[in-house]
Amino acid sequence: MENGDNNAVKDGKNSSSIVCQRCQTVILKPQTATYTKKQMFLPHMKKKSANQAPDDGETLSEVWLVNDMFTFENVGFSNTVGTTKFLICAECEVGPIGWHDTSDAKAFYVALDRVKNEG
Amino acid sequence: MDDQSILTTLKILIIGESGVGKSSLLLRFTDDTFDPELSATIGVDFKVKTITVDGNKAKLAIWDTAGQERFRTLTPSYYRGAQGVILVYDVSSKQSFTQLGNWLNELETFSTKHDIVKMLVGNKIDKDQCGVKSYWLQDQCDDRREISRDEGLKFARKHHMLFIEASAKTKEGVQCAFEELVEKVSKTI
Repeated sequence: MENGDNNAVKDGKNSSSIVCQRCQTVILKPQTATYTKKQMFLPHMKKKSANQAPDDGETLSEVWLVNDMFTFENVGFSNTVGTTKFLICAECEVGPIGWHDTSDAKAFYVALDRVKNEG
Repeated sequence: MDDQSILTTLKILIIGESGVGKSSLLLRFTDDTFDPELSATIGVDFKVKTITVDGNKAKLAIWDTAGQERFRTLTPSYYRGAQGVILVYDVSSKQSFTQLGNWLNELETFSTKHDIVKMLVGNKIDKDQCGVKSYWLQDQCDDRREISRDEGLKFARKHHMLFIEASAKTKEGVQCAFEELVEKVSKTI
């Protein structure tokens, strides 16, 4: 959960498995994602409430970058909103944990704040 | 590498009409504590999941919906390179069974491999509870089986598909389906 946790990054990649904060499902195996900075506004991940405003969220900048969707161990993709597909946990469907812009087929971003490193 | 064993990464698609239980075939069965409505606001398009069967790792792309418009635009790239396809229908829905032909056409059109392994799964056999109810209740039963095991089997044979009936709810047949498919696909590589 901690920003800039140096132990999470080794040689620019994730040192350990990246897992769902909620159900611990493995999202990415070690050394499969590249640590990058990229700003993106994501809606909050809390359980949806009836009166949650669409713009209720936060701007995140630390991300894991993956180039191929089949690099993921487990991940879910939301329907497309504009050109954005939000990433969710494939098991418990918590999210968004990241995003994919359909105009760039080779970039899938997972926000460090929305997942955790195993171990 | 800290992976368990020699890995085969397979691209397997699960297709079929909405509501036949494609995604639940791969949901984990341990508990029901998760809120399926969580992603309901935007909706889930598809998932990538990894399962291990007999030490063989299979990476699966699973469609959650069959929204026609959206599906058509996405289809070509996701069919590309697929080695196995699980075609699912709901045994209590004749409509989902009659649509199978369309799904096979789509598959023919977009798949890039000729030796793609196909498996037909008749899902939701757990819903076939009506038979055990007393006669006078049968008219009120919505979940009656509409497609017999034999009809499923015949369709599968005609189209050279593996066949299994399953219930994602009771887990019956589900693990078998994946084992069989992964095993078969592994042999075609």
